[in-house]
Amino acid sequence: MKTPFGAIPAADISADQAIPPAEIALAPTTLEQASQALRIATERRMKVLVWGGGNHQGYGHRVHPDMVLITTSLDRIEVWEPEDLTIVAEAGARISQVEEMLAGKRQTTVLPHHSPTATIGGALAAGLSSYKRFRYGPTRDRVLETKVVTGDGRIVRSGGRVVKNVTGYDIPRLMVGALGRMGLIGSVCLKLLPTPAAAVTVSVEDPADALAALYRPLAVLSTPSGHSAFLWGTQAEVESQAARLGGEMLNGHAWPTVPSRLVGWSLRLPPSRLSEGLERLPEGWDYVAQQGVGIAECAADQVEIGAARELRGWAESVGGALVLTDGPETLYERIDPWGRAPAGLEYQRKLVAGFDPFGVLNGGRLPGGV
Amino acid sequence: MAATLTGRNTKLRDDLIRLLGAERVMDSALERHLYAKDAGVYRGNPTVVVMIETTEEAAQVVRTARRHGVPVVARGAGTGLSAGAVPEVGGVVLVTTRMNRIEEIDAENHTAWVGPGVINLDLSRATTPFGMHFAPDPSSQSACTVGGNIACNSGGPHCLSEGSTVNHILALEVVTDTGDVMIVGSGAPDPVGLDLRGIIVGSEGTLGIVTRALVKLTPNPPDVRTMAVAFATIEDAAATVSGIIAAGLIPAALEMMDQLMMQAIENWLHAGLPVEAGALLLAEVTGVTEAVEAEAEMIAGIAQSNKALSVQVAASPAERELLWKSRKSAFGAVAQAAPDYYLHDTVVPRTRLVEAMRQVYEIGQRYQITMMNVFHAGDGNLHPLMAFDASEPGRLDEVKAAADELVELCVEKGGVLSGEHGIGMEKRHLMPLLFTEMDLDAQARVKDAFDAEGVFNPGKVLPEGSRCFDFGRPVPEGAWV
Ligand SMILES: Cc1cc2nc3c(=O)[nH]c(=O)nc-3n(C[C@H](O)[C@H](O)[C@H](O)COP(=O)(O)OP(=O)(O)OC[C@H]3O[C@@H](n4cnc5c(N)ncnc54)[C@H](O)[C@@H]3O)c2cc1C
Repeated sequence: MKTPFGAIPAADISADQAIPPAEIALAPTTLEQASQALRIATERRMKVLVWGGGNHQGYGHRVHPDMVLITTSLDRIEVWEPEDLTIVAEAGARISQVEEMLAGKRQTTVLPHHSPTATIGGALAAGLSSYKRFRYGPTRDRVLETKVVTGDGRIVRSGGRVVKNVTGYDIPRLMVGALGRMGLIGSVCLKLLPTPAAAVTVSVEDPADALAALYRPLAVLSTPSGHSAFLWGTQAEVESQAARLGGEMLNGHAWPTVPSRLVGWSLRLPPSRLSEGLERLPEGWDYVAQQGVGIAECAADQVEIGAARELRGWAESVGGALVLTDGPETLYERIDPWGRAPAGLEYQRKLVAGFDPFGVLNGGRLPGGV
Repeated sequence: MAATLTGRNTKLRDDLIRLLGAERVMDSALERHLYAKDAGVYRGNPTVVVMIETTEEAAQVVRTARRHGVPVVARGAGTGLSAGAVPEVGGVVLVTTRMNRIEEIDAENHTAWVGPGVINLDLSRATTPFGMHFAPDPSSQSACTVGGNIACNSGGPHCLSEGSTVNHILALEVVTDTGDVMIVGSGAPDPVGLDLRGIIVGSEGTLGIVTRALVKLTPNPPDVRTMAVAFATIEDAAATVSGIIAAGLIPAALEMMDQLMMQAIENWLHAGLPVEAGALLLAEVTGVTEAVEAEAEMIAGIAQSNKALSVQVAASPAERELLWKSRKSAFGAVAQAAPDYYLHDTVVPRTRLVEAMRQVYEIGQRYQITMMNVFHAGDGNLHPLMAFDASEPGRLDEVKAAADELVELCVEKGGVLSGEHGIGMEKRHLMPLLFTEMDLDAQARVKDAFDAEGVFNPGKVLPEGSRCFDFGRPVPEGAWV
């Protein structure tokens, strides 16, 4: 079946996805098609949900859509300039596939790709960074250019395809973590990093000591079963760094699996408060904590609203947050997924209004119902 | 608020004096002349200049200016090169240099809260005892302010590996268009909601006044190798840069200077630069000893395969410092030699460096302008410097025309207008080279979201006519187009 403007009806491509029920589900194959769909949505004041790999749909207030736009048919790699360490890819491209391609020349986007279905656009929209961020900074720092389709169907390009640029407002940065409120991310130019020759994982007793002993390790992670340092560099470099730690050394990176249970929480703290935060986790929560960064991705088997509220209260009192990242629909009605709304909500609203005047695109998903 | 204001405004001045005292409010002809320009070539016309000391004062000044229908132009040290701090249409020039307190260094979290008037280098000096520094290191770092760095998203030699200022700003205290104060961003990672901090950094004072910043501090590296590699031609040096990046190496810094620039610096500093060479590449690698040794060796190898004349490794901290001093005082050296100079800033993809540089010299020849170059080669960030004599009639216009051609050539190669100096007044007319009407309209919406009335630094960044009312007009419900 063909839709009026050539987009693929979603049913034809992804019968297996847990896409929420909607009047229309479409998978545009070009930005122009996405633009047409959003123009129609704006004319009819339909609520639109953008769906990438479906991995991070638990972020933010729930959207009950009239139309779902699936991005996975927007998956072309437009340009890869290995010698310049940049890539331009459509947002529906799967990170795992892009990484596989980049690995051929020992390069990486450093985006998280725990899930094989995660898309570039989804990771950007959810504002996710990989465990390597202690060394390389957050994903936001590597987005050079974006082409987005605004809620009312305009195609807007901003930034540029060079690694250093201050030409105009940094709209690409604003797209990261915006959960689609500033537009459907159509394509992006990312700064790539070379993949070093050697990688090791070393188990450590005390994460604070490990951080102190190492010069900018890739990551130091904690789970309920222990702590590990992850090193990356030349062979000589990782060996000498590992020797400083003295723990058991494993070749390669033995990344912990991301905890996934009924309910997901992201605890975000000033790095020095992380250990205390972990002590305060309710009984039985699983977690992967990023030392030096201040994030603990947590998972729980139960909906523990009281305990979560208490932990959130403390996190907010020290300048952090406890964000609900996954859970049953009803949980979102009982507790605000974001917690305390940030300052400048009126400016956030005005920014969104400039890009989505009628609030059709992922409406209300951000803190404060923005 | 677009109308040009001319001359003094005594009512406004008197209100400001009541707020700040006479000593911190200036509007004599001389004072207004002094604050009429930054370090670039454009000039404006301040109505009044105020020196603020607190956030509350900044907020009050904004409210007062608004009441008088007069815009506010923030100013740090005035070292900007794109006329960002130039009060083009008049208004209150709000100077932050007295807000220069480093309030709190949090060694555990590697952060510090600082005033916008803190001088870039002072911040790194203050954090040295903690084994940390503020990574953005513009060549002007001994003069420019952190507030100016934030507004311009400034770079520097070491931004190749560390990224520009925006990567090092965690939170901002900002005075908004309504004269209110908000803190955006957080000392905890991934603050929820839209990244207002990120959009305010680099917005050139057009979205609000930054009154405090939470900066990220970077640990000092345990070891470092700084190398000066001489080449016969700029092409060989550029090919080496491309070779290094393509080999998967991102040094801490990768800077290049041409022969004319070396000569100017040498005449001034006597640093022992190889002035007989056609180009010099300054490469620095940092990290643990094993890494810097291996990387330095790789760089030397790549340089040699690109016909390097000599590879000199700084043997002591003093030698290293001298190399960096010569790099960072390049513009001072030129200022000594030429009556006027225009320092440009554009970017090309780093794979296009060789051809871009060739064309830079061609443009110089065509306009009979001496092009001297010292630039952030590793990022593809060019800084052609045009030395000239502005007292020659018509010369400045020729220089500006050459400057536009430089930008055009970079955009043709897939580059952008500016890598670190900003757009300001200097390049806004060139924005359509890079962006469509619809793109510019979207940027105007960002400005309007923060400052619909144009209180802050009006006319900067976006060219006139950026707001296109054909786009996104409300469509009646149910209608089809
Ligand atoms: C010799 C020389 C070398 C240079 N080298 C470099 C370099 O290597 N890299 C580089 O990036 N730049 C460089 N520059 C440019 C300049 O130094 C930087 O842009 C610097 O960050 C400007 O800081 P400032 O305090 O002088 O800002 P100003 O010139 O005073 O202001 C610049 C802009 O910032 C705004 N602003 C200032 N303070 C605030 C505030 N508190 N809130 C909101 N807006 C504010 C102003 O309105 C203006 O738009 C160089 C300049 C010179 C003269």
